[in-house]
Amino acid sequence: MTNTAQLQAVSVSRAFGGIKALDDVSLELRPGEVHGLIGPNGSGKTTLLNLLCGFYQPSSGVIHLGEQDLSQASVQMRAVNGIARTFQKPRLMPMLSVLDNCMLGAWIHADAGFMSTALALPHVGAQELDIQARAIELLHGVGLGHVMQRQASLLDHAEQRFLEIARGLAMQPRFMLLDEPAGGLTHQEIDHLADVVRTLRDNGIGVLLVEHHTDFVFRICDRVTTLNTGKMICHGTSEQVRNDPEVIRVYLGA
Amino acid sequence: MNSLTHTHKAWLLLGGLLIATLPGWAGDQYQLHLASLIAVYWILIAGLNMVVGFTGQLSIGHVGLLCIGSYAFAVLAGKSGWHPALALVASGVLGGVCGLALGLPSLRLPGFYFAMATMAFALIVNDLVLAQVDLTGGGIGLPGPLFPAPFDSPSGFYYLVSLLALGVTWLSWNLGRHMWGRALISIRDNPVAAQSVGVAVFRAKLTVFVFSGVTAGLAGAVFASLQSYITPDTFVFELSLFFFVCIIIGGRGSIIGPFIGTVVLTALPELVAPLAKLGNFFYGLLLLVVVLVVPEGIGRVFDIIRERLRPRVVHREPISPDLARLDRALKYKP
Repeated sequence: MTNTAQLQAVSVSRAFGGIKALDDVSLELRPGEVHGLIGPNGSGKTTLLNLLCGFYQPSSGVIHLGEQDLSQASVQMRAVNGIARTFQKPRLMPMLSVLDNCMLGAWIHADAGFMSTALALPHVGAQELDIQARAIELLHGVGLGHVMQRQASLLDHAEQRFLEIARGLAMQPRFMLLDEPAGGLTHQEIDHLADVVRTLRDNGIGVLLVEHHTDFVFRICDRVTTLNTGKMICHGTSEQVRNDPEVIRVYLGA
Repeated sequence: MNSLTHTHKAWLLLGGLLIATLPGWAGDQYQLHLASLIAVYWILIAGLNMVVGFTGQLSIGHVGLLCIGSYAFAVLAGKSGWHPALALVASGVLGGVCGLALGLPSLRLPGFYFAMATMAFALIVNDLVLAQVDLTGGGIGLPGPLFPAPFDSPSGFYYLVSLLALGVTWLSWNLGRHMWGRALISIRDNPVAAQSVGVAVFRAKLTVFVFSGVTAGLAGAVFASLQSYITPDTFVFELSLFFFVCIIIGGRGSIIGPFIGTVVLTALPELVAPLAKLGNFFYGLLLLVVVLVVPEGIGRVFDIIRERLRPRVVHREPISPDLARLDRALKYKP
């Protein structure tokens, strides 16, 4: 299946009580493209991400994936449709190994039912091995091969971030939404992160990058959207956004 | 998730031999009865463990499901004259149906409220049983029918319940070590993450809760037969807490731990028989010690001791992605 469908938010708004966290914002995420989303704290970046992956429903406006209207679809349905995400504060299963955490990402591809799993029918074991083999490759790929059997609670912060990415990739997603993936990472780790994100892009995955490290954003993003107080103030290539006077005024500083 | 090593297999073999030969070396009929009781409790607890230990749903109402299974068996195999094997299956099915009826409205509730709902369920069941005199004999109770030969002797019955217990253990072990195990634990540890990878949280909770209903119904049926007579007083609420405590003492997300918990807690009053009056004291003491000293559960006591004696050194190595390998993994489409 060639991945040409776009993930679009079309003039979405979202209010919490009387506060408009997001006001008439549009964004389109294309396959094989890294899209940055920047803005001051409280500007609505994470709200937009949550609208895209279904943790919130828009108060108005629609979320499209290709021709499909996902506005009211549940988080699970969006995962099934190929939308993966990571969290600002990594959300892992602390008691399980790194490998098990990564394998969980393949849940939607494991069509083993409850009964056939309980009875350990042959295809369940075979599928398990497939999922495991792919998870091992992904973990080596993102650089966690050496801690595969380590309990996740013993990982340091950066390792947790990369594990979340590997788990998301185990979903074989079409779109990957990264919520401040560079937060708390060293310069070298950010470089590695950039390499990983480029590899995703080159494989046709559309990446949304919500981030405060603007250097990092401008370095790897094809396009950037800037929010301020829930409104979109600028949208364009990294070059355009970096030099936009309004963006400089409210966010980047002179 | 946890594949068996040779040491594990050796232990399993030893345990299996002990269980298989128990009627030969048990001191008296009472000890055999106790072993059967442990097996009966474990049939329920193995299922409940998937709900409490793996999925993290704090059900304290499973005595209600046990009670339903028991009365279903006593009524069908006794009053209605069904074959006990058929009545056993029917008890399991009814347990599952009642689990569904209880789970549907309550499993959306957060932690404590869910626990309260299950407790209310247990209390309601007990009162209903007391009130339905025509069906259940009310306060007088009902006799628990025996299984036909060769399961009518104490040792025959022991083998029957051990086989059932083994079956349920095998099912829950299979669930725990495959994708379902990961999904259930993700619901326990991080429901938001579970959702984000596409786990239908409510549905998974409901499925596993129905499973625990079936095992509770089956346990109820053999429980009625073992007790030979059941009244509403047999199903006191403390029994529900007992099941729950067996799992907590045993440790979450483990199967062997809660099993050890079940054995120890069921046998405890007998082990301290000379101090019978202090039975509850030791029960409380054990719970306190476990919660304070090894909150991970007695299933992990040896791991923890090993760790204390020889702490694992965590080597920190920098993360270095292998981009070619990542690229291949991403291009791989099964």
